[in-house]
Amino acid sequence: MTSNPTDEQAGMGSIQTVRGGTAVSIENVSKWYGNFQVLRDVNLHVATGERIVVCGPSGSGKSTLIRCVNQLEKHQRGRIVVNGTELRPGTKGLPAIRREVGMVFQQFNLFPHLNVIDNCTLALVRARKLARNAAEAVAMENLTRVRIPEQAKKFPAQLSGGQQQRVAIARALCMKPKIMLFDEPTSALDPEMIKEVLDVMTRLADEGMTMICVTHEMGFAREVADRVIFMDGGEIVEQANPAEFFSNPVQVRTRQFLSQLLH
Amino acid sequence: MTFLQILLGIYEGFGITAIVTVLGLLYAIPFALLAGILQHFSTGAARWVVTATIEFWRSSPVIVLLYAFYYSLPAFGINLSAISVGAMVLGLNIGGYGSQSVRAALQTLNRGQREAGLALGLSRIEVLRFVELPQAIAAMTPTFINQAIQLIKGTSLVSLLTLTDMTFRAKEIAQLSYNPVGVYSGLLVAYLIICYPVTIFGRRLERSAAKGRGASHEF
Amino acid sequence: MSFDFAFALKIVPRVLEGIGNTLVVAILSFMGASALGFLWEIARRSNRHVRPVMQFVVDAIRSTPVLAQLYFLFYVLPYYGVVLPALVVGVFGLSFYYSGYLSEVFKAGIDLVPRGQGEAAQSLGLSRIHTVIFVIAPQMLRNVAAPLGAYSVSILKATPYLAVLAVPEMLGSAFDVASETYRYAEPMFVAGILFLCLALIAVTLVNWLERYLGVTTPPH
Ligand SMILES: Nc1ncnc2c1ncn2[C@@H]1O[C@H](COP(=O)(O)OP(=O)(O)O)[C@@H](O)[C@H]1O
Ligand SMILES: [Mg+2]
Repeated sequence: MTSNPTDEQAGMGSIQTVRGGTAVSIENVSKWYGNFQVLRDVNLHVATGERIVVCGPSGSGKSTLIRCVNQLEKHQRGRIVVNGTELRPGTKGLPAIRREVGMVFQQFNLFPHLNVIDNCTLALVRARKLARNAAEAVAMENLTRVRIPEQAKKFPAQLSGGQQQRVAIARALCMKPKIMLFDEPTSALDPEMIKEVLDVMTRLADEGMTMICVTHEMGFAREVADRVIFMDGGEIVEQANPAEFFSNPVQVRTRQFLSQLLH
Repeated sequence: MTFLQILLGIYEGFGITAIVTVLGLLYAIPFALLAGILQHFSTGAARWVVTATIEFWRSSPVIVLLYAFYYSLPAFGINLSAISVGAMVLGLNIGGYGSQSVRAALQTLNRGQREAGLALGLSRIEVLRFVELPQAIAAMTPTFINQAIQLIKGTSLVSLLTLTDMTFRAKEIAQLSYNPVGVYSGLLVAYLIICYPVTIFGRRLERSAAKGRGASHEF
Repeated sequence: MSFDFAFALKIVPRVLEGIGNTLVVAILSFMGASALGFLWEIARRSNRHVRPVMQFVVDAIRSTPVLAQLYFLFYVLPYYGVVLPALVVGVFGLSFYYSGYLSEVFKAGIDLVPRGQGEAAQSLGLSRIHTVIFVIAPQMLRNVAAPLGAYSVSILKATPYLAVLAVPEMLGSAFDVASETYRYAEPMFVAGILFLCLALIAVTLVNWLERYLGVTTPPH
């Protein structure tokens, strides 16, 4: 809980949000795949400007949970409210809600047929109906923000994994989202590229972005998170601020998980 | 008649061959895209109807379809010119095959592409149009070229409806002078000159798509 | 002249008389096309001087209409004194045309066999021909089974081309009925329905066989 929004960094439209409002609230949410329950009565409230790190073993439902926040997965029970709008099955204007929520995927999911700048401007031009020039200006601003403006004309296949993931972050930021979701953004990267992506995420956190990050980068969690959530078997087992979470985990399952992770 | 004269005589039918090819493409491309996309997205009864339509056009032998439509339609009160029937039947037949390439290309796309588009706030239609279709169409271009060659070759069938295409011209010339070797090798050469460059072009595309897929055996 | 359904129904058995020839032509042509196609592909790989020649032959076969190839054989062979029954000429024609496509199938099937297999066999001292027969071909068969199945249906659907050589297969029978009765709509319609049914049965059979043998299209 140390970082403050910083204004002095170059090239960023800094996001001066007041902490305390609720960005996302997840209440009693459950979800099933057939008979298999992936999410069990999950409750989570994320304040505006808060940085959450979600961790837990593979298959524990972390991805499913954050994908419910932008409704790439539909929950079957409970309430999810994002930026004041409740997401129900058949909610109208889902694309408009999603534009306020950026998502970064493990596999980057850049559009291979478009170059870097067109990846960034696609939704601005098509969904936000921005003029091409204006969209490109926004794109360049955000590519600068992730320190990759010189790659604007390249295609995804010509970039390293770390560069691709930074482009993916810039692409999401172009929509000026109020919330950013990260689903294991560094898991598909070679070790030497992890840092460049984490640096970008840290800067974003410093700017005051509301973030929910699924990651096993515990150094990042310690430095950046306001709260660490541990999930197992589709439920939230434990949550605490990072200092407490790492030094003094309460639940047995959390301790087991942390000891496996650290050894 | 010299070989060159024969060849030029055969190419007097090029106009009909070209017209039927172009009209055929005008049937084939929209049908392939529409049917492929509908088959990919529809479910239940609608999917069944789409599939049955596609299967009708691609499962029937094209020569039989051609005769059946040419001779049966008038009996049902529908009178179409031979060119119209030929272009429609050949086009929808090739389009039926094409629809399967469209569907396969859409199906093999990584679902992360769709999710990334949706997560950016594009609507489902916009994702299809700006993210999925461009990639699907690029992936199926070699197949599409092969199907276009099938269409060009298939137009030789309209000679059976007595349209004066290249094949029909060859048969006419064969009746004027008894020189089957010259006339029919001329006919093969006439098609080869048109289709061979396209075949090579398609092979290039295929190879560049398959690049790095490993070396081959030599015996 | 309007469409007479009763007449259409009545001529079904007459048109069906050709089905025997249709099946014989399809089976023989499939075997011929497979043998020729495999031959082209082995020749293409045999040495680097033959390779471009065979590549051109295969591409040329695929760049000309089957109808033109059939006419060529049908009218040119007698010119050189080779007089064969039309059915035989037709089988040669379809075998030749489809060999161009099947050689591509075999090419892909062989390419999918790991390169080390051929190298291992040759380093064991197997001759080229033994390498092909005992090492490559068995492994290739799995890879080509599914596309071969698809082409067997294509060849079945190409058999009515032989009607233009007056071979009495199903479309030919339909033409016979038409010229006897001076009615074309019903025989052509019946032929269309019968061929559609035949093709659908063949597709089902091939799919079933593929599943039974446990072969599916190899991933690219
Ligand atoms: N589409 C699906 N159908 C069935 N089961 C699924 C599907 N997606 C995920 N699951 C299952 O749900 C569980 C949770 O998945 P996920 O949220 O991806 O876990 P995590 O991200 O924590 O590794 C896993 O056991 C997974 O196998
Ligand atoms: Mg996951």
